[in-house]
Amino acid sequence: MAKDLLQKKKTKDIKIYCDITKCVGCKSCELACAVEHSQTKNIFTALREKTLPKKRVRAENVSSKIISLHCQHCEDAPCIKACMSGALSKDEKTGATLHDKDKCVGCWMCVMVCPFGAIVRDVENHIAVKCDLCPDREDFACVVACPTGALFVGTKEEFEKKIKQKKKG
Amino acid sequence: MSMDYVIVGGSAAGVTCAQTLRKHDKKSNITVISDEVFPLYSRCLLTYLLAGSIEEDKLYFKDKNFYKDNNIKLYLCKRAVSIDRKQKKVSLKDKTKVSYDKLMLATGASPKLVDVPGIDKKGVFTVRKIDDARSIMKMLDRVKKIAVLGGGLIGLRDAYALSQRQKEVTVVVKSPQVLSQMVDMQAARIIASVLEKNGIKIMTGVAAGEITGKEFVEGILLDNGGKLQCQMVIIGKGVKANTELASSCGLKVEEGIVVDEFLRTSDENIFAAGDCAQTYDIAREANRINALWPCAVEQGEIAALNMLGKKIAYDGSLSMNSVDFFGLACISMGITRPKKEEDYEIISQAKGDVYKKFILKENRIVGMVLVGDIKAAGIISALIRNKIDVSSIKHLLLEDTFNYAKIMPLVRKFQERFKQEEYKDTVITY
Repeated sequence: MAKDLLQKKKTKDIKIYCDITKCVGCKSCELACAVEHSQTKNIFTALREKTLPKKRVRAENVSSKIISLHCQHCEDAPCIKACMSGALSKDEKTGATLHDKDKCVGCWMCVMVCPFGAIVRDVENHIAVKCDLCPDREDFACVVACPTGALFVGTKEEFEKKIKQKKKG
Repeated sequence: MSMDYVIVGGSAAGVTCAQTLRKHDKKSNITVISDEVFPLYSRCLLTYLLAGSIEEDKLYFKDKNFYKDNNIKLYLCKRAVSIDRKQKKVSLKDKTKVSYDKLMLATGASPKLVDVPGIDKKGVFTVRKIDDARSIMKMLDRVKKIAVLGGGLIGLRDAYALSQRQKEVTVVVKSPQVLSQMVDMQAARIIASVLEKNGIKIMTGVAAGEITGKEFVEGILLDNGGKLQCQMVIIGKGVKANTELASSCGLKVEEGIVVDEFLRTSDENIFAAGDCAQTYDIAREANRINALWPCAVEQGEIAALNMLGKKIAYDGSLSMNSVDFFGLACISMGITRPKKEEDYEIISQAKGDVYKKFILKENRIVGMVLVGDIKAAGIISALIRNKIDVSSIKHLLLEDTFNYAKIMPLVRKFQERFKQEEYKDTVITY
């Protein structure tokens, strides 16, 4: 699994998809995300850190269904256009929308325009935070933590293929 | 065919235009003419510099080597003074002439001044360019009390920045409320009270009558007879479009440079974008200037695509602002203070320092004010932009848990309006 995911890190246009029919709203993704973005990357010690780590994914409910929603790494990303400090940019190789916390001044222009509400405020550090596709690890914290297999990382084609297969099966 | 693209202005619209041109055309000559002393700095970051929260090297919004890496010729500290439309040449102040096939005017805006005696005294500033910020900072050690004229977005940002330098700041506001262009009275009260709690004095309903002092500023005489002692005056009254270059060569100019949906001026070889251009406003359904960073970037890109001959129409801009004072965030968008309230449906709620207001017309959101809890701002902006009928989710708008999932049924229902590709990705299994 990890090896497969490591390979994905180098693929262009990958992002995290949620199979809404499988998500139960357990919020394991949120927890794993927060821990991964803590200083110590350990749930017990993370809780004792000076500022609590922030999750960049949210399990949200829509009617009776639930979706775990991440930054969509939009091709023509509104947040990059709105960013007046140059903190947000596109990785031309992978297509990921990158956020440089050192350049961010917390003006919330990105929050103002993100059509998915996928950028959140880190109030203590006064910077925006968003899904960064876990640069410190080989795989993806939320995907690994998802107990129902709802989360999937890959390209759109791969995700659609998986969903089609599921329907057949 | 190799073209000569010339861009006047090196800020958000100009640089985005240059970058977009280069992305699609590797061969042509691209020239940027800027009268700034410092390339690629983000104007919006100047108040952060003033506040001392960033250093000058963080003002760059693009890589320092942007011009070199993209093979774009840069004229820095050069002012374009006239355009010969027949010969297709731009003249610079130093008499250099630059030929163009397609020209982009991204001349930006300048601070509005106030017409009061004493405005020429030392210690009176506006905050628009890097030089302004540098001059203010040079003088700060000698200053204890500062008066800021103007309680709009610019005035308050200046005031906030200088209060971070432990200065006693008083904001003099002509209107009965702060941020009168941006938010309604109720939101303004919450924001003003946070500023006051943190030591910034706000005087509403008064204006400066005279700036007093000999060589240097010593105070202000107010139009209500009052006096204010201060060693520095900042004029933060908003901006007006720089249209002189456009009007001097006979282009159509109103409040800003008039452009069509392709961001073309009245000359088909000249385009305009950013703070100097008067473009279509989606919420107001009329032309106006939205002098905002995100709009300038969007327009710079669209103008570039049209300069390349791609015929891409601009959907229009949306007025929107985001501020954060002492941790209290506020975002407003579209029509926030309708003239005739009875023509609109207002959904609002105040809970302590959290205030939310949505302005609807025929079940479409046309404006919004969020104070304290801004997380839904982007989702709402898409609903405004795409003119979505929100009758089915109206009852959810004020909820703390309002999020993207709540609009997914609408994304399904109005697929043709949610054009951005990524919307489809979220509803594959929905």
